[in-house]
Amino acid sequence: MSELRQIAFYGKGGIGKSTTSQNTLASMAHYFGKNILIVGCDPKADSTRLILHEKAQNTILQLAAEMGTVEDLELEDACKPGAGIFAPDAPGGWINCTESGGPEPGVGCAGRGVITAINFLEEEGAYEEEGLDFVSYDVLGDVVCGGFAMPIREGKAQEIYIVMSGEMMAMYAANNISKGILKYANTGGVRLAGLICNARMTDREYDLAWALARELGTQMIHFVPRNNIVQHAELRRMTVVEYSPSSDQAQEYKELARKIIENDMKIIPTPLEMDDLEDLLMEFGLEEEVLEGEIGKSAEL
Amino acid sequence: MFILGFHFPADMGNNIPDEKVVEKLENSGVDFDSVNEIKLISETREGQKEEISYTKKDTFLFKALVHYVKEVATTDYMIYTNRYQMSELSKKLDSDDETMALCKKFDSMSQFKITAA
Repeated sequence: MSELRQIAFYGKGGIGKSTTSQNTLASMAHYFGKNILIVGCDPKADSTRLILHEKAQNTILQLAAEMGTVEDLELEDACKPGAGIFAPDAPGGWINCTESGGPEPGVGCAGRGVITAINFLEEEGAYEEEGLDFVSYDVLGDVVCGGFAMPIREGKAQEIYIVMSGEMMAMYAANNISKGILKYANTGGVRLAGLICNARMTDREYDLAWALARELGTQMIHFVPRNNIVQHAELRRMTVVEYSPSSDQAQEYKELARKIIENDMKIIPTPLEMDDLEDLLMEFGLEEEVLEGEIGKSAEL
Repeated sequence: MFILGFHFPADMGNNIPDEKVVEKLENSGVDFDSVNEIKLISETREGQKEEISYTKKDTFLFKALVHYVKEVATTDYMIYTNRYQMSELSKKLDSDDETMALCKKFDSMSQFKITAA
């Protein structure tokens, strides 16, 4: 039996983590026969909807609140088998889905929900299911809040993929997440496994993403081009792999899936200082050099 | 590390020497001589199409394209990452104007379809 790999997708809010992760994991299951457990770590519980063909599944925290405590919860209540080609009885690999959930906006700590959910899944034996190849965590935002670093801090996720783009804030977030990984790399064994550029199709985006990857000591494992078919598939609550397996975009996710399965590059990152990151952005034309005397001055003066 | 779809072990780091990529390509078992022409169709995001014929058989780029068609592609679609990597390497290893012009096209956001003849 191959060793269970625990991977996580991190990245700036709105960068397309859930879309990228579900499409990639769908390819890993469908084309390469991998069996996967998805643990959504986002209060909006959208990490599994394309696999389940649902709006949002009931989260572990929701179900625990309804039952009184998490101890009253059974694994079957919180962990659902994927729909369609991801079901256990369908050919190829299967995908099981669970969502940690979180508190109402502005109340409480979502990170606590994440760790409660992971502990519940471990205690209930979700990670010991026969044939399970991958556990994948899809984690909200970057690691500014320590709560969302829980899968890293607790040594659960060992292999981190940062979803980013050539936009400035996505690069900042990727660098910040690398700082989070660095902080826990020696105690928990977490490693950075690569950047995934979920392209906005901006100028020199490939070069910029690779330049950041090199600075961090990692690889840009794949450049995923923008394609409207992803949104069309999402409207039907499906991954592209299922919605249009012969499409060009399905080939992109298939290649990314192959690379993740074969990837052996797992490193302790070397994050940039803020000045160095700004220099990198300037080198690729994302920021214009500004003279000291111009800072704070309107362009129309 | 992955370049042109080839896997390079992690202990080689994230800066693979060009000659190692060329070595993998040459040893891939692909019969480069069996192809005389690479046909490409590019399409911009605005829908403008262009047909390109590429026949510079003595270049790195030609070999990389033949390898792509024969070993990597499952449809006629060209994966962006592979295409950018081909361009990046070709700019260092090739020098003729026609190849450089194709590299410039590969650096764009256009989509490419590829066939070998």
